[in-house]
Amino acid sequence: MDRRNFIKASVAASGAAAGLGTLVTSVYAQSGGKPTIAFFVKNVTNPFWKGCRIGAEKAAKDLSVNLDVVAPTKPDNIEEQTRLVEDWIVKKPESFVFVPVDYKALVPSIQKANKAGIPVVNYNNRMTDVEVVTYVGSDDEKMQYELCKYLFKSMGDKGKVVHIDGVPAASTAQARKRGFDRAVKETPGIEVLASQPGQYRRLPAVQVFENLMQRFPVIDAVVCANDDMAVGIAEALAAAGRGAKTKVTGIDGIPDAAQAIAAGKMFATADFSGHDQSYIAVTAAVRQLRKQSVPKEIMLPIVIIDKANVKNFMMTPEERPVPNWDKVVSGKS
Amino acid sequence: MSAAAHPQLIARSTARARNAPGALYLLATMVVALTLFTPDFFSVANLTNVLLQVAVLTIVALGMTLVILTEGIDLSLGPVLGLCGVAASMIVVAGYPLPVAIVAALAIGSAFGLLNGSLVAIAGMPPFIVTLGAFGIAQSLATVLTGGNSVTPLPEYYRWFNAGVFLGIPVPIWATIVLFGLTWLLLYRTKFGRYVFAIGGNKQALKLAGTRVSLYHVLVYVYAGALTAVASFIMTARMNAAHPTIGVGIEFDAIAAVILGGTSFEKGRGSIAGTVVGALAVGVLRNGLNLLGVSAEWQVAIVGVVIIGAVALDSLRGFNT
Amino acid sequence: MNTTARPLAIGRLRIDHGVFIVVSRLVAVTAIVVVLAILSPYFLTWSNFINVLRHAALQFMMASGLTLVVLTGGIDLSIGAVLGLAACLSASLISTGSETIGIVFALIAGLAAGAANGVLVTYGRIPAFIATYGMLWIAHGLGYVFMKGEVIYGLPQAFRWIGAGFVGPIPAPVIVAVVLFVVLHVMLHRTVLGRSIYAIGGNPSAARLSGMPVKRRLIAVYAMSGLLSGLAALVVIARLNAADSSLGEDLLLAAIAAVCLGGTSLFGGVGGIAGTAIGSIILALVVNGMNLLGVQTFWQNGVMGAIILASVLADQLAGPRLLGRR
Repeated sequence: MDRRNFIKASVAASGAAAGLGTLVTSVYAQSGGKPTIAFFVKNVTNPFWKGCRIGAEKAAKDLSVNLDVVAPTKPDNIEEQTRLVEDWIVKKPESFVFVPVDYKALVPSIQKANKAGIPVVNYNNRMTDVEVVTYVGSDDEKMQYELCKYLFKSMGDKGKVVHIDGVPAASTAQARKRGFDRAVKETPGIEVLASQPGQYRRLPAVQVFENLMQRFPVIDAVVCANDDMAVGIAEALAAAGRGAKTKVTGIDGIPDAAQAIAAGKMFATADFSGHDQSYIAVTAAVRQLRKQSVPKEIMLPIVIIDKANVKNFMMTPEERPVPNWDKVVSGKS
Repeated sequence: MSAAAHPQLIARSTARARNAPGALYLLATMVVALTLFTPDFFSVANLTNVLLQVAVLTIVALGMTLVILTEGIDLSLGPVLGLCGVAASMIVVAGYPLPVAIVAALAIGSAFGLLNGSLVAIAGMPPFIVTLGAFGIAQSLATVLTGGNSVTPLPEYYRWFNAGVFLGIPVPIWATIVLFGLTWLLLYRTKFGRYVFAIGGNKQALKLAGTRVSLYHVLVYVYAGALTAVASFIMTARMNAAHPTIGVGIEFDAIAAVILGGTSFEKGRGSIAGTVVGALAVGVLRNGLNLLGVSAEWQVAIVGVVIIGAVALDSLRGFNT
Repeated sequence: MNTTARPLAIGRLRIDHGVFIVVSRLVAVTAIVVVLAILSPYFLTWSNFINVLRHAALQFMMASGLTLVVLTGGIDLSIGAVLGLAACLSASLISTGSETIGIVFALIAGLAAGAANGVLVTYGRIPAFIATYGMLWIAHGLGYVFMKGEVIYGLPQAFRWIGAGFVGPIPAPVIVAVVLFVVLHVMLHRTVLGRSIYAIGGNPSAARLSGMPVKRRLIAVYAMSGLLSGLAALVVIARLNAADSSLGEDLLLAAIAAVCLGGTSLFGGVGGIAGTAIGSIILALVVNGMNLLGVQTFWQNGVMGAIILASVLADQLAGPRLLGRR
């Protein structure tokens, strides 16, 4: 290595070191003695997880703890989330509030966290074979079941239905599919034309559905595994002039879906509130740290959103009121 | 024809760069900076953690180095990793003994290598397209076999591939060391290795000289596929589950590690030692950003800048050109 | 390997390589259409025809810029990510009423990212694969930072025309794609820039020796690729009536597939925009066909992969023999 190269390398090195230094100082300036909770989400692209993040941040503020949001850079990437958990075990925060991108493949990582003595609150996607303080979530199967029954009833219990699945390996998608299948089985007049995955994302779902629309000139309803896909499909139907003939349902209750329901483009959705789940999950983590009681499982109530009550759901996660711990835990809210 | 017929050609091609690649400066800088600025970085626990995290990437990147040395590329290694993991796990879950699963995984990895290698070396198709096609096929097979779900539950012994310890060192690190040694021997001590450098250095001349070149060229892809199959066991054991899309994206990370390590896309220049440095640099960068608590959004952009920056450093100072 | 696009001879007949590509692809399209028409009663309908054309149009917009880059012997892995970034930036402006500024901004953002790729490849002497892969990360990252996980929803009706509107019975994106096709075709075959694209891809050192400003031309090509990603971004957000930072994922590999199906060689110098147009149509037909026939999406990647391999292999084996090349 000649001298010029060495100088160049040293300049680059000191520049990088200075950059890192600034970063670190800014990071460490924030902590200040409060307990830190590592709050995991599946990605930084889907608005659902933004809702979760805001709920968690509100809880952290209300309970005065530090919150670090941890997300894989590649959306829903299992291998990367594994590394994230390992790195955060090294950092040893007081508590993990965790959602696995795959409820089976992340088990060894969370077992490592268990071994390291970091308490874990599991939310949104239920894990087994790991020790958790509690699980906070919704009953996905029951939610999709009740929503479908409600939809089928509005159709006179007969008609042709297309099902757009989420990410087939996600436990939420599997549970929602079970709920859909159960409702279909109980309603003999309903014919399922097709069931295809839309990856929980708008563009892939719309592309699959536009082709299905060609195959099936008559579709009475489209049951989607989430709202992002449902809103896109409602748009596609409206663009094809078939909006009035087909009822679309989603799940999640994101503001876009609420607006689509208010505008008559979508039929209904169910409130699967990431905001509420994460608020309760962070609260549970803090209660555990403070040695207060936490039940083994916390299920949020199922609310179907349609034109009648949609006004309550048109606000953004920032505006949404925080859930009340005692009411949620006692199961009456 | 024999390799000895082209002593000059091969001698020139195997002449390795004496300088260190930019990734080495990057790695050194990061280690120093992270040690100074985070209390968690420089500990046996965390350094072991980083080595475990980069084991799979390093093994895949070793094979990728050989492919890139022949002026090729293999985009299919990521999905092939997923497919091997899924197939081996299904075999074990179905009650067959582990050796059957190992043979099956190696066979699948090698078969994809054979497909890629034949189409590239014998049919003369562009490696990018060939392996992109294989990417789609491997990805489809893995998802169709599993319906998109993880394969579980695996027998308890499977975890040994990740969590096992021998002489105080975890199995994935042993695997990396052993496979590095094997690849080093193949590359620098056998006729196969001399051909690898020569194919990248001057394919046209070799092609005129004989047909055995094509055989060695195919073997390069087969070797990369087989290494990927080995890596799939570590990956599966890490998750204690085999997931069909687990490998997707690793191929690009591996290519980045190879290029960061100073191997050139052209002219058959580079080294596997550089690749190990490149993979470590990627691993330390990601670990460091996490330890520093940099948000995912910014991490994405920073990774891009670092990749471009390190390679630019190499090319601007005339490294390997 | 012969990589220059010179006329080829069949007996006394001289056929341009481009003509061979187009004719062979049209035969493939016809075959697919016949098979699908027999297998599915819904295939040969006007609305499905329009549907396929709309998908192909979008595919073509993504693949056209890539075609130019590939013709120079390069690659642009950042097109999907740049599309996502341009979509987010412009949607945020358009949804707040600044339509013109939003549209211009999408194009400028694409152009800037593309030009940066070009500078890195030429003056930075970084391999195109790495430069554009780094740009992929940077564009995704900036998109994530800008959007913070938000979705921008509800774009003005007038703007949405470009993605969801019609001219008579023809969807607007198809019109945009056709105009784009004509412009790029003329550019490639009737301008200095077009000729230098083939020259650089066919033999870079000869191009450099001939006194051509290779670096500037290359920067222009990468910039155009970025610009076209920006244009495609506008069409995509207009169609979806929404933008989020994950928009650009999954688009890259399909675009590469369309370019390859269109017979453009990844070695550079051979191929053209007409091939890519037909490649896009083939891709749209195959996906449409699989959906109409009820093939599970799991199989679609594999079928696509097999088709790519088969088409390039067929070119490799049958092309030169049929045309008396080699």
